[in-house]
Amino acid sequence: MTAPMRLPSQPGEVIDRTVPLMFGWNGRAASGYAGDTITSALAASGERVFSRSFKYHRPRGILTAAFDDPGCTVQVGDEPNVRAAHRRLAAGMDVRAENAWPSLKYDVKAANQLVGRFLGAGFYYKTFISPQRLWPAYESVLRRFSAGGSMSVDARRGDYDKRYVHVDVLVAGGGPAGMAAALAAADAGASVLLVEQEYDLGGHLRYGGAAELATLRELRDRVAAADAIEVLTDSVAIGRYEDNWIAVMQRTAAGVAERLVKARARSLVVAPGLIERPYVFAGNDLPGVMLSTGVRRLINLYAVKPGLRAAAFIANEAGDAAVEDLRRAGVQIAHVADARRGTGLVHATGRGGLRSVRFSDRTVEADLLVTAVGWTAPTALASMAGDRPEFDPGAARFFPTVAELPGGIYCTGGLAGDGSLDELVGHATAVGRAAATRSRVGVAPLPHDPHPALFHGPTDGFVDLCEDVTSKDLATAVAEGYDGAELAKRYTTSTMGPTQGKLEVVNTIAMIAELTGRGIAETGTTTWRPPYAPVTLGALAGRTFEPVRYSPMQPWHSAHGAKPLVAGAWIRPDHYGDPAAEVRAVRSGVGIIDVTPIGKLDLQGPDVAKLLNLLYVNKWSKLGIGRVRYGAMCADDGVVFDDGVTGRLAEDHYLMSTTSSGAAAVWEWVENWLQTEHPEWAVHVTPVTTSYASINVAGPKSRELIARVTDVDLSPDDFGYMHVRTGRVAGVEDSVLWRIGFTGELSYELHVPGAFGLHVWETLLREGADLGVRAFGVEAQRILRLEKGHLIVGQDTDGLTRGFSAGLDWAIKLDKDDFVGKPELVWQGERSDHPRLVGLATVDPQLVPPEASQIVAGGEIVGRVTSSRMSPTLRRSVCLAQLADRLARPGTTVNVRLPDGRTIQARVTDGLAAVDPDGKRMRV
Amino acid sequence: MVRPLTSKLSRRPVKKYSAVNILRQGITRAPWAPVLVPHELRGRYDVVIIGGGVHGLATAHYLASNHGITDVAVLDKSYIGSGGSGRNTAILRSNYLTPEGVRFYDRSMELYRNLAADLNFNVMFAKRGHLTLAHNDGSLRTMRWRAEVNKLQGVDSEVVGPAEIKKLVPYMDTSEHARYPILGALYHPPGGIIRHDAVVWGYARQVSARGVHIHQDTEVRGIDVAGGKVTGVRTNRGDVAAGTVLNCTAGWSSLISEMAGVSMPVETFPLQAAVTEPVRPFLDAVVVSASLHVYVSQTDRGELVFGASVDPFGSYSMRGSLEFIEGLAGHVLELMPSLAKLRLLRSWAGLCDMTPDFSPIMGETPVQGFLIDVGWGTYGFKAGPVSGEAMAELVATGKTPEIIAPFDLARFTDDRLMGEKGAASVGH
Repeated sequence: MTAPMRLPSQPGEVIDRTVPLMFGWNGRAASGYAGDTITSALAASGERVFSRSFKYHRPRGILTAAFDDPGCTVQVGDEPNVRAAHRRLAAGMDVRAENAWPSLKYDVKAANQLVGRFLGAGFYYKTFISPQRLWPAYESVLRRFSAGGSMSVDARRGDYDKRYVHVDVLVAGGGPAGMAAALAAADAGASVLLVEQEYDLGGHLRYGGAAELATLRELRDRVAAADAIEVLTDSVAIGRYEDNWIAVMQRTAAGVAERLVKARARSLVVAPGLIERPYVFAGNDLPGVMLSTGVRRLINLYAVKPGLRAAAFIANEAGDAAVEDLRRAGVQIAHVADARRGTGLVHATGRGGLRSVRFSDRTVEADLLVTAVGWTAPTALASMAGDRPEFDPGAARFFPTVAELPGGIYCTGGLAGDGSLDELVGHATAVGRAAATRSRVGVAPLPHDPHPALFHGPTDGFVDLCEDVTSKDLATAVAEGYDGAELAKRYTTSTMGPTQGKLEVVNTIAMIAELTGRGIAETGTTTWRPPYAPVTLGALAGRTFEPVRYSPMQPWHSAHGAKPLVAGAWIRPDHYGDPAAEVRAVRSGVGIIDVTPIGKLDLQGPDVAKLLNLLYVNKWSKLGIGRVRYGAMCADDGVVFDDGVTGRLAEDHYLMSTTSSGAAAVWEWVENWLQTEHPEWAVHVTPVTTSYASINVAGPKSRELIARVTDVDLSPDDFGYMHVRTGRVAGVEDSVLWRIGFTGELSYELHVPGAFGLHVWETLLREGADLGVRAFGVEAQRILRLEKGHLIVGQDTDGLTRGFSAGLDWAIKLDKDDFVGKPELVWQGERSDHPRLVGLATVDPQLVPPEASQIVAGGEIVGRVTSSRMSPTLRRSVCLAQLADRLARPGTTVNVRLPDGRTIQARVTDGLAAVDPDGKRMRV
Repeated sequence: MVRPLTSKLSRRPVKKYSAVNILRQGITRAPWAPVLVPHELRGRYDVVIIGGGVHGLATAHYLASNHGITDVAVLDKSYIGSGGSGRNTAILRSNYLTPEGVRFYDRSMELYRNLAADLNFNVMFAKRGHLTLAHNDGSLRTMRWRAEVNKLQGVDSEVVGPAEIKKLVPYMDTSEHARYPILGALYHPPGGIIRHDAVVWGYARQVSARGVHIHQDTEVRGIDVAGGKVTGVRTNRGDVAAGTVLNCTAGWSSLISEMAGVSMPVETFPLQAAVTEPVRPFLDAVVVSASLHVYVSQTDRGELVFGASVDPFGSYSMRGSLEFIEGLAGHVLELMPSLAKLRLLRSWAGLCDMTPDFSPIMGETPVQGFLIDVGWGTYGFKAGPVSGEAMAELVATGKTPEIIAPFDLARFTDDRLMGEKGAASVGH
């Protein structure tokens, strides 16, 4: 590939001509140099069109030659919407144009241009209304017209990273002002993070003349020599949050795809420079129409000739400099129209590229039109700190109202005002020094130089090139009554595209102001919300940090075929192959289950009983040492929130257990009550869920098994049901044993120091081999507890199940002075029309109605099956259900509608327990 | 000055939206009849509606179209649709948990399906199918519960497994190796998305055409009550007398009701949302994961829209937080790992008025003539049309329509809470 537009070596060029790179462009071979952007390499080879536009599929070329160039968005491999005017060329890149089919040159959807006069603002809202049945078909066609690159289902997630930084001063923007501020802050003793969105420091100095390049070298050298300054290039501060919590997107980072740097800075210096604003006129989107800064970047950074014959429309020194650059680069200057002298730009014409430009006094042939009409102040970071930028009509741009900024935020450079390079550097130096001490000392405001207010010409052009919004669209919106800045933006989608309004917002506001006859200040301000620059989901997400919790017994589970069950943070055995056999083992002999995920809170202090009395619905003041009690907690609204057992280990020492899923929430709940309601109570709470490994040993032979591994006296008279002991288990000191019965069998729950969990587990299996001991999982436990009629909070209850609907009548003690949820429960207790938790036996004992089957009566839903299983013990189905009070009497037959549509009958049982209703087995 | 090309042909404003009139307007350049017409604020209206969002404007629309009541002012402190109506993620569904909820939202879906024709404004309703993922057996049970209730109410809703989910959403990681494996989902084929602003504008256009006054930038600062009856409102632009005042606001609804001396059990929480750059269509269904606190859909423009559950702490702040977008991105990638290179473009927050039972409060208050349509939590947008229809009927007839009767304010003192909280950790 030849490079007809490549210029000879330029003093400030960033390309390395010794390193040529080959890449693919729409399937053809292309080449450039290291340091080229995708766009500059292609432009050097004479390419002028890089994409087709969003709505009309018009060919688009280079406008800004920087990140936010709306026409230079491409697909690179499996990455969509790559900013080709920013992304550096890499060997072997597969670059393809977006929005073009079959090719960039002949795009069939460009037919939209022919009917453009019918596709104005709000076009979608006004058509395809009837016949309504056809809208889905229209919609699927419209969706195919949507813009952007393509996702790939096989795309690898990639490695992303995060980093935390604490600095005295963060400087956002590495132009002359940013560098000067960073140097001054460092000189004053501050640590500094200097963030620059380009690949090199320097801002506009990079594409300046000899004097600028000399200043650039000097500042760069001093920054490089300053140890206290860390520089991040190709990085953008995307958001400023409370207390100068600043997110910096590092797009190039060693070893990872991208990195999100999160910085806490004492002071923030905002020095992003200014963004050049496009001019609105007919033909302003033709390839060949460029901003002066775009032209200067192409020539000076990439040694690319932007065109052969240029016209210019300029109103400031940046425009003069661009014209000078063009002359130097050997571009023929057809005409320079100086807007400062009142010359106007009428329109530009051409097909597929610029051909001719009409000014108010002449028409010239040209393939390049340079505009330099003014600036947009990217006040984003200041706005995010609460600043409301104000428009200065004399200077024709917005300025942050610095006086209103909270402490620790400073603006400098073009954002703050105008002046010579020396004056701006002087201001930035004063700002940097002040930022280092978080003062305002020595910072005099910069003047605002007059600038002509130029937003649009007399013809209809594109206000938003990303969204294909024209000035006529804005006029239509305002005429239709969408006459506020926000409404008009929403209606036309102006500023809603991938450049996030950076190029478009001021023109949009100015034109709405003009159309409504209001001033710009009255019409609105530029609002900037995070992220200031687009940021990948990968970078925001960083590495996945979703830790998994396994119990210490996991190696044994894995080795014995446990089927894993994901239970919140935990992964635990659901079963070991045959849950029914596991159930039978427990009912007939002995089984052990790993219940480590059960929440455990160690409570110590003289006021623990008060706390328990407040949070549980039942009474705790008389719980003796060595005793255990079941407790249920309700929230303020009386809804059952958690349950578990709590044992008193010593005078002022209790161990509370919670449900596995509720462990974190109960801890927060306990702390919340202690810290906000009863700070005067002496209670110390320590979550010990993972400090202990927990094993439930259940079955008629459990006492025999435990006796073989402990010296604790297990005789029923001494260690009865609902008692707790501490002692040695399998040689492990400080183990806790409590006699409880979730499965309905004689059982001991062991809490042993976590490191010994596997040892105790394996000891139990070895010692109990002759007793037929068997490990059982969560599924078997659920069946066992269902046979016994023990509820599971969250399964047999829901977000509105209050205490008396959970079968907790026996536990709720309304004669207590107070407890959380008492008023609601008093209320519920006085009424009798609330749903009840009941046991159900299906008339056909072999039918197991799936959980969530609805119970219906007379066409109304009157309840639902909350738990159901085939009982291996009884060889019939067992169910729990929530049921309307009027049908909850034992013996009542109800209709259960199965998910497959069948209706079956079931009978309300006497009590919840199907196995051992008298509770003899667990009390032996 | 911006000068649209003019034509010598007819310049009579075009009122009706249609393909024919698009052509006609395109040729003649006759202006479209304005959607919003500015008016002087009068000293008296029969009905004052506070809040120019979808609820307030829908109420005004049905008051005019179903009951012929047009002496109505709709007041908004900012621009129409600037609150929740323009900040939600525009998801429509009716697969609720309680029969009352299902009936109510199903009527709303019915109105939405016909809204484009009713309003002569294409609101771009797109039926995409709605998937609520279950990552653990507990939520799978809740999905079954919802499916069963829905089926009994005639709402199309079923539980599907990972293979079916993969077919509907090829980008979804349905493997067993995911950190939070997908066990199944509640699939609701009628669910979809809509252009939320268009709904607001469509209603506004209709009510404006019928002579209702929409007053933007008009903030209510007080409500006058005399002898237990509402008599009017005070605004930044002057006082307005009215026999009927509706509170159709969100975010600040409890503060507005307090102005009339009416207390409501409402707590306000921010909810954050975000949108990506457009990419070619690859995601049809609306995907919700309550466990991962995220919901995702792709608009007709190609952007992905994400929303979260409400923030954990009450606040009136509408500033987003960094932690939110980080978490959101992480959760989206948990579901669809191949989206890592997609870029997020904008994020914002809206305010949600949460009630104790995750259901709205609609109807009369102890102050005669002061009516409320509030407490819309995270589900207000999808209820706009049915709320408007019912509130309009209440205003016109003085009787509370049966479809909203279960949602009255008195339920909090009469022990009749609704049951939506049972499954509403993410209510989208």
